[in-house]
Amino acid sequence: MSSVLVTWQNNMAEGEENLMVVIVDCNPVWWGRRQQQQAEPSQIVLSHCLDAIQVFVNSYLMLSHRNRVAVIASHTSKTHFLYPKNVPDPRLDQRRGEDGRYEQFATVDDTVVEEIKHLMTSDTTNSELKTDTLLAGSLAVALCYIHRLEKEYQAGQQLNSRVLVIKAAEDSPSQYMNLMNVIFTAQKQNVVIDACILDKESGLLQQASDITGGVYLKIPQMSGLLQYLLWVFLPDLSMREVMALPPKVQVDYRAACFCHRTLIDVGYVCSVCLSIFCSFSPICSTCETAFKLAKPPMFKSKKRKKSIQNGGPSTSLLQ
Amino acid sequence: MCRLETKMADEEVEKTYRWEGDYEKTWEVLQEDAAGSLQASVDDIIHRAKRRRLQDRQLNVRLGMMRHLFVVVDMSQSMEDQDLKPTRILVTLKLLENFIEEYFDQNPISQLGIITTKNKRAEKLTDLGGNPKRHITQLKTLANTSCVGEPSIMNSLDLAAQTLKHMPTHTSREVLIIMGSLTTCDPGDINITIKMVKDLNIRCSVIGLAAEVQVCKKLCSTTNGTYSIILEDTHFKDLLLEHCTPPPATVNTDSSLIKMGFPQHTVSQDHDSVKPSMCMCHQDTEAQSFTPSGYFCPQCHAKYCELPVECKICGLTLVSAPHLARSYHHFFPLENFREIPLEELDSELSRFCTGCQVQLKGPMVYCCTRCTRPFCIDCDLFIHETLHSCPGCINKRIGPNSS
Repeated sequence: MSSVLVTWQNNMAEGEENLMVVIVDCNPVWWGRRQQQQAEPSQIVLSHCLDAIQVFVNSYLMLSHRNRVAVIASHTSKTHFLYPKNVPDPRLDQRRGEDGRYEQFATVDDTVVEEIKHLMTSDTTNSELKTDTLLAGSLAVALCYIHRLEKEYQAGQQLNSRVLVIKAAEDSPSQYMNLMNVIFTAQKQNVVIDACILDKESGLLQQASDITGGVYLKIPQMSGLLQYLLWVFLPDLSMREVMALPPKVQVDYRAACFCHRTLIDVGYVCSVCLSIFCSFSPICSTCETAFKLAKPPMFKSKKRKKSIQNGGPSTSLLQ
Repeated sequence: MCRLETKMADEEVEKTYRWEGDYEKTWEVLQEDAAGSLQASVDDIIHRAKRRRLQDRQLNVRLGMMRHLFVVVDMSQSMEDQDLKPTRILVTLKLLENFIEEYFDQNPISQLGIITTKNKRAEKLTDLGGNPKRHITQLKTLANTSCVGEPSIMNSLDLAAQTLKHMPTHTSREVLIIMGSLTTCDPGDINITIKMVKDLNIRCSVIGLAAEVQVCKKLCSTTNGTYSIILEDTHFKDLLLEHCTPPPATVNTDSSLIKMGFPQHTVSQDHDSVKPSMCMCHQDTEAQSFTPSGYFCPQCHAKYCELPVECKICGLTLVSAPHLARSYHHFFPLENFREIPLEELDSELSRFCTGCQVQLKGPMVYCCTRCTRPFCIDCDLFIHETLHSCPGCINKRIGPNSS
């Protein structure tokens, strides 16, 4: 325990600040469908989830005055930055002095609530309604924001950043490329991606948390969301070595072949476009290059000629 | 007659010498800002050079993704020169460490080897391999060795070619020479070596630390490599990192299907008892120990601790899917953003950067050509160098192939 205290004190003394970016999945299709499917209306809806997130964010800010937070909402058609806002709202400033809440908490909570209302009530002018969440887009915006904040620090001060993704809807395979780019960028920038999954297991976020060194947790009960957030995701990165966290998931890094989408152990990779196939074929279906087939080795005919001259074993075969 | 011929040959290569042209007022490029600092103009110059490089990149060209690169480090007397602080050789070694890490980050299935040349001889420091730590530890030992004698380009090329000629034809064979000296001392005719290297389809590039040398220029132009001379250390770093991106594949590079294994990280168990085993990567070192988990080769079941690796027993290349995914962004390169002044920005678009939400100050704003969203200059550099995906396009669901 003393080593834990020493680590914590070192962090406070050296001018390190911590930034946490919370990405909330506000997929209206998923939340709406869930509300319809639930037996009792008292089960979890988006507002309960947001309440839990607000308490979590307040607790995080309460841990240290050097902690900073940002909240991003991930929707099906856009990514909306909830907090901090670009343009401060004057109406919020008026209301703040009235109740007895700690001002910083009041700012964060009210801004998040107002912005979520704007997001959900704004018209989607697109003709098609997509059902998957733009998670890769939100992560990209989060990384740009972290990159901008890191630039504002001079030598000697450091910013430790992490991203907490609270995911509701399923994975969408169309975002694979963008998500992988984002994951490798996060790894390079030393940003840890944690994942808190509400419903179905997400292979992509398992890979993200494994590659960046974060925690992946699928919540068994949605009503206990706040408890899981406070237990698992609240402590800082330096504390994680002494905490008993959920065990690491064995991520399946096997590749899926491009022809059947089955996971394979041994595959053939095209050297031009790096697409993976389960069986040998003379033409690559992605880039349409014809492959050079291995020619039979040349020296065998020479050996036969030599052995015929010497009366070797091949002459006996001919007989 | 021969005088006329040589004159025509010179005209083909260079139109005029630099001193024969008009003088350029190079001092006007740098402008001081209000506080007297030049940092802004220096940053601007570097930024423009980067944008121009991105522009010049050829699109829809086949790239050599599996690369076998030999780095030849000149350790001759001229590398003890102090025009790069503290000495040229120390700066080179430090930048090479960054280069090795970035190289394996961008090309995870490629291999690298290091050759040093001094005293008119060439020596292989590390053999071609895929483990960056091994190269970096060996590179650190070079800091203590002295730089003597003269370099020999012919010996280094011969040594590199000996290994590269056995590499499969579908890989891209490259040599990168870091030359600090203005001379090379060779045992024979270097033109024969240059021809041999060209026949073996090896692409040679040179980064010169001093001045342009005709032999290097000829080597690079014959083998389709690049020859650049550094201006100062940040330029040196930029030039080195340029070589991390895969070069366009030559005509002679074959394309073939390479068999690869994708092992899973497993714990070998027999019902309830765990079966510990030794790994093949630490076989001859002190770090050898019995562990229950690791990556097992699908063909011969040999155990390895880390990927990517080439199985020593059956020769199968073992990788994991993210290693291949790291190289996918080279196939869909992000176009340069359009640079427009802040005043001309479309009034419907928000005045905040789409990436980092900072207020756009200008003078220039960068708009993506596909999604038309504006970005600030920092986000523009970050997106093009590290992220390789435009956040605006992702949020508007615009794929890389759509126009």
